[in-house]
Amino acid sequence: MIRSLNKIQIKLSNAVKSQWYRIDRLDGPDSECRRLLDLGFTPGERVAIVRSTPLGDPLVVVVRGTQLALRKREASWILVQ
Amino acid sequence: MTTPVGTEENADTDVKQRTFCLVGMPNSGKTTLMNALTGGHFHTANYPGVTVSLLQGQSIREWGPPISFVDLPGVHSAVNPSPDEELSCQVIESRHPSVHVDAFVLVVDATQLERHLKFGGFVARQGRPVVIALTMMDLLDRVGQAVDPKKLSEALGIPVVSVDSRHGEGVPELLSTLRDVVQRPAPRNALSEIGDEPVEAYRRVRELLGTSDDLVQPEGLDLLVERDPLTASIDRFALHPYIGFPLFLVALVCLFASIFWFATPFMDAVDAVFSVSGDFVSNLFPNSILASFVAEGMIGGVGAVAVFLPQIIILFFLMTLLEDSGYLARGATLVDRPLSALGLHGRSFVPMLSGFACAIPAVFAARSIPTLRERLLTIWIIPLMSCSARLPVYALLLAAVMPDAAGWAGLALAAIYVSSLLIGSLSAGIVGRIAFPDQAPSLLAMELPVYRVPRWNVILKITWSRSSSYLRKAGMPIVVVAIVLWLLSSFGSGSTQPQFAGVANPPLVAQAEMDNSFAASLGQRIEPVLSPMGVDWRVGVGLISAFAAREVFVSAMAIVFHVQGEDENTQIEGLRETMRTATFADTGEPIFTTASIIGLIVFFFFSLQCISTVAVVRKETNSWRFAGLQLLFYTGLGYAAAVGTVQGLRWFGIA
Repeated sequence: MIRSLNKIQIKLSNAVKSQWYRIDRLDGPDSECRRLLDLGFTPGERVAIVRSTPLGDPLVVVVRGTQLALRKREASWILVQ
Repeated sequence: MTTPVGTEENADTDVKQRTFCLVGMPNSGKTTLMNALTGGHFHTANYPGVTVSLLQGQSIREWGPPISFVDLPGVHSAVNPSPDEELSCQVIESRHPSVHVDAFVLVVDATQLERHLKFGGFVARQGRPVVIALTMMDLLDRVGQAVDPKKLSEALGIPVVSVDSRHGEGVPELLSTLRDVVQRPAPRNALSEIGDEPVEAYRRVRELLGTSDDLVQPEGLDLLVERDPLTASIDRFALHPYIGFPLFLVALVCLFASIFWFATPFMDAVDAVFSVSGDFVSNLFPNSILASFVAEGMIGGVGAVAVFLPQIIILFFLMTLLEDSGYLARGATLVDRPLSALGLHGRSFVPMLSGFACAIPAVFAARSIPTLRERLLTIWIIPLMSCSARLPVYALLLAAVMPDAAGWAGLALAAIYVSSLLIGSLSAGIVGRIAFPDQAPSLLAMELPVYRVPRWNVILKITWSRSSSYLRKAGMPIVVVAIVLWLLSSFGSGSTQPQFAGVANPPLVAQAEMDNSFAASLGQRIEPVLSPMGVDWRVGVGLISAFAAREVFVSAMAIVFHVQGEDENTQIEGLRETMRTATFADTGEPIFTTASIIGLIVFFFFSLQCISTVAVVRKETNSWRFAGLQLLFYTGLGYAAAVGTVQGLRWFGIA
């Protein structure tokens, strides 16, 4: 529907709630990114923000059927389309 | 010629000596399986290093010769591991000095095959036999999906057994498969070919599962909610913008009330049992030093350990319940933002809150914090939380400084509680920045597991095994310290105290002992240090005795100021009266002035006057340096702050 919008690369921390994105790449500190990859945040994978918390941080994110609480700082390393 | 080692023959008789490890990612259902395998007969084992709880046990006899099982902490990733994960990785990679494994039971959540099998690759690559225990099959049914264990086994090249740990289904099959698999060398299998590199590994897992990208992913978010409607609807409230925090507050109040008030009658009962048996022994052999040692030193020492047990059991029970139901992760998510700004972890809230009841269970509660730095920082600030043992001391001192204003005293007490939380937070922020200057906060990336109905029998078993582990591990040092403090206050050089030459009421025998004790001479020795605080050596004896437990200050003061009293209440009444009139022996000026009492309150606010806490911190951090530094820092800070307060107040003209 809004295919053109989906092409723009944004940080997961700025993503819209309740919408699927596809991970493009990870850009952050090495060991932390490696751990995020291990947790399933691999390029090409689909990811969505399911809800935010009362203070707006952390975010509740779904990847590979698992819900994870990610700090905004951590989510900003995940670049999505 | 070396004789061939008969491993083949031995293998058969050897099965019962073998150790099997349950490994898996967190929330895969390892502990429930452990409970099913061992029939609930497991215990908590501690290994050197920062304390990590490991469950150990043997399989039930009715399912054949017993097999030893070790339940390893769940691992998210071997990169940047937490202390728990590091221990598991050491065992998995055969690097652990004392846990040696013959085969692994890889516990895999059937609803999360991809992530769990990727981790399985890490386990299978170690070349030891692996059997997969497939759990959460009931959840799979609920969402109308299915995994065929047989097909999965063919695809991976290793045995797969579906288990329902709650009802024990599949557990005997798992045991017989395990006995089978250790007899044969592990064949090369597809699971072990899953590499270390995450992107490639996940691609390979999908290939093995025969699923394509699009099949695995649901099309919309509605489908995701459908996967577990229960979790989605509870989270709608638990993490709600407005309702989330009030709900969390209710949970906190319940937790705090249970540790603070619900435990009190049990603690009083334990206390009564020990003092009655102590009295019994000392009445049996009056005037015997041995009976006094048994009654006050030994029974008193064991009592000092046992009195914490109700709080410990209740705290462990509630924590396990919170963890098991899945709410702990939500609570931690709610408060992670302010706590992480201080260098703490979202999960620090349980230990900090428990610290208001007692620092000892609180230090244990810090185990639930996955990252080492956040765990140490949390343990560092726990002694600042205003524990219940400070309450009688504050009550005495506040009543002395504000004798006719109970309302104001109550308000002051509330202020003390709030400022202990604020100063604790401030201390975490400052110390965290000094001790770890260059480090960014650790990764949160915390899994929010699906809500499950609490498994009461498992929770009770874990609560018990952790509590008895406390008795075994922390009990000994506390008993030793209690005995040492008893010796200090019961024996002495026998020097006479000229201060008491003209006392009208001759002191009782016990009091005379106290006056001549090592504790008393120690108090006199440190009097020059105490005078800037505006108090004399007798208060010093109270302060030294308070290291056994802060509330001992009150009774020690009653003894050293020769207060007579039938029971505790009349004694405290008498002590208040005595404090009003007590004067320095040399100058005749009053000891307990507004300034010196406020100084004492400040001292108790900061000072780590609890040797039991020091012993437990030493156990939990495995570091004398950490525990010693904490003791010196807080007691030094308390002293400096007290002297500063007293001198400052005097400078402003408040004596």
